[in-house]
Amino acid sequence: MFFLLIIILVVIQFFRPALNKSKQAYPNDISRVYPLPDKVQGVLRTSCYDCHSNSTTYPWYAHIQPVGWWLAAHIKEGKEELNFNEFGNYSRRRQQSTLKAIASSIKDRAMPLDSYTLIHEKAKLSANDKELVLQWIEQTKDILSKKK
Amino acid sequence: MALAILLFSACNSGIKDTSNTGKATDTLQTGSTVKTVEAVSPTKGIVTEYLNLKNALTRDDDKNAALAGNSLVKALVLVDKSSMPTEQAKVFADLSDDAKEHAEHIGSNAGNIKHQREHFETLSGEIYDLVKAGNNTGQKLYYDNCRMYNDGKGGNWISETKQIQNPYLGKDMLTCGVVKEELN
Repeated sequence: MFFLLIIILVVIQFFRPALNKSKQAYPNDISRVYPLPDKVQGVLRTSCYDCHSNSTTYPWYAHIQPVGWWLAAHIKEGKEELNFNEFGNYSRRRQQSTLKAIASSIKDRAMPLDSYTLIHEKAKLSANDKELVLQWIEQTKDILSKKK
Repeated sequence: MALAILLFSACNSGIKDTSNTGKATDTLQTGSTVKTVEAVSPTKGIVTEYLNLKNALTRDDDKNAALAGNSLVKALVLVDKSSMPTEQAKVFADLSDDAKEHAEHIGSNAGNIKHQREHFETLSGEIYDLVKAGNNTGQKLYYDNCRMYNDGKGGNWISETKQIQNPYLGKDMLTCGVVKEELN
């Protein structure tokens, strides 16, 4: 029984999910379509981009299955909800709603996920980080609402 | 025409209790003629599912809200854009992907009615814009507002009844709100 488990564990290592890594430039990245101060971008990169952009910084254990599969599923789901690299492609209304959703998930502490910050200590948002991002969201929403 | 029938049957698959102008539905169900279906506004299915959703929220019923959310996604996908007036088709193109997103979230958030209501708020504004941009749907609708929702920021919704039934506060404060505008 134990032996079988080992064999299974070895075999699944050969089934690697495609990595979410891309070095291309994104013309529709949020930083290209709206003003994005460096500080805010820094926070987004550290705390959000692993699951909400086209390039993830993987920890070593991401290369071990089934952890890698689990992460891949998470990232896929995250990108469907919001991909900062594609933000400019969203309709004006979806941009508006997405910004609103980012703000409310930060306020409700729904994001970043606890399961993520447990390991990524740096991704935790400080009170100051939250303030920065929320302010930037308000400004960006203003710009958006003037655009028709 | 086939699409219209498909759309119509899809729209009626949800929960039953809303349609005021149930005439067309009846005709279709008895199978006598399809002509009546043509006369129905293209957004009818969307509005019906939206109202089902709204009514579930007034009852604090997150499970049926989720079902209605999923039916609304279908209605948004199946809607016959070509039969919309030009102005409405433009508005629809602008809001459909976002409205779908909200409806999907409501569909997947049974158990979290607070979150469903957050999505419902933006969705309501979109359905309002869509209805406003169209011609008469034949259904009398009311655009209501409750100032208490969301810490005093307020929230709007569309209703088929003049009597206020609040989808944001539900049973806690069912009659909180005022009619802001009568539609159609």
